Amino acid sequence: MNLQKTLGRTMRHRSSDAELTITPIMNCFLIMVPFLLLTASFVRLAMHDLSLPSLERKPATAQVSQSTPVVLNFLYIRETGFELRSPELTFPALPKRGTAFDWGSLATQLQRIRTRYPESDEIIIAPVNSINYQTIITVMDHCRENGFSNISISG
Amino acid sequence: MTDQPITKINIVKRPRRSGNITLKLTSMLDMFTIMLVFLLVNYDAEGNIISVTKDLTLPESSATLRPRVASVVGITRDWLLVDGRPVRRIQGITEAKELLIEELYDELMRLRTVTETIGGMGSGGHGFRGNISIQGDRDIEFDLLKRIMLTCGQAGYNNMNLTVRQK
Repeated sequence: MNLQKTLGRTMRHRSSDAELTITPIMNCFLIMVPFLLLTASFVRLAMHDLSLPSLERKPATAQVSQSTPVVLNFLYIRETGFELRSPELTFPALPKRGTAFDWGSLATQLQRIRTRYPESDEIIIAPVNSINYQTIITVMDHCRENGFSNISISG
Repeated sequence: MTDQPITKINIVKRPRRSGNITLKLTSMLDMFTIMLVFLLVNYDAEGNIISVTKDLTLPESSATLRPRVASVVGITRDWLLVDGRPVRRIQGITEAKELLIEELYDELMRLRTVTETIGGMGSGGHGFRGNISIQGDRDIEFDLLKRIMLTCGQAGYNNMNLTVRQK
């Protein structure tokens, strides 16, 4: 039995180069490409917020400190590695692994503080003078990712 | 010189073209599709509202907070700039005993006076708010950053933000 005939189709010889009408799509693309090129931003900027207490904002910060007890968490960044200090919790110092900082252990220690003080999101980063800017920013990233959104820098 | 007579020059005959010429646009379409997808990913309706100081590489970060419009303190490898104007050379800043950077302080105080004067004219509350954004090169040391932040704080610019490049 011929399948083609059963299905009601007839074999027709198709020309080898069937063409789609792609001119409208081309027009559309040609318009969209310059438009998107103009609005594209290849360098995306962001910022880390650092707010020092000021005289004008004092009443607001006083109210906040009344409602939640302040837990002073210090993170020291030294040439040799990190050291995290928190009230009632003691952590071993985190020396560098080769030339890189021990980010994994830092995250673990930060998480421990978060479970101990879930309502506290403040941390004070204290780098030594020779630490470079990129390292400080990466430390701030790690603190923020582990729940410390209120970051201060201390000299 | 060939001894062939001119009339017998072999002319390469081209094949007769059919009436409708079709271009092969498939590869071009492919390219456009890839470009469109790439550009759509990078599409940003808001655009960059702050400009980056030249000659510096911002540090990379995973921060997602959008930048605010504020005066810019730029720290390149050689110069300290306020809104693009050079204030003093970086060289020698970290050797000084005094943490306050005199030239930067003066410039910021001048900027503050201008902002306060303009803010005082209108009633829209666009006065001095103490916002400043710090754009530092990724290789500067904390000693320098500390001095600059202290100077900004002394001049009343307490809301500092560190501009970074998103990863």
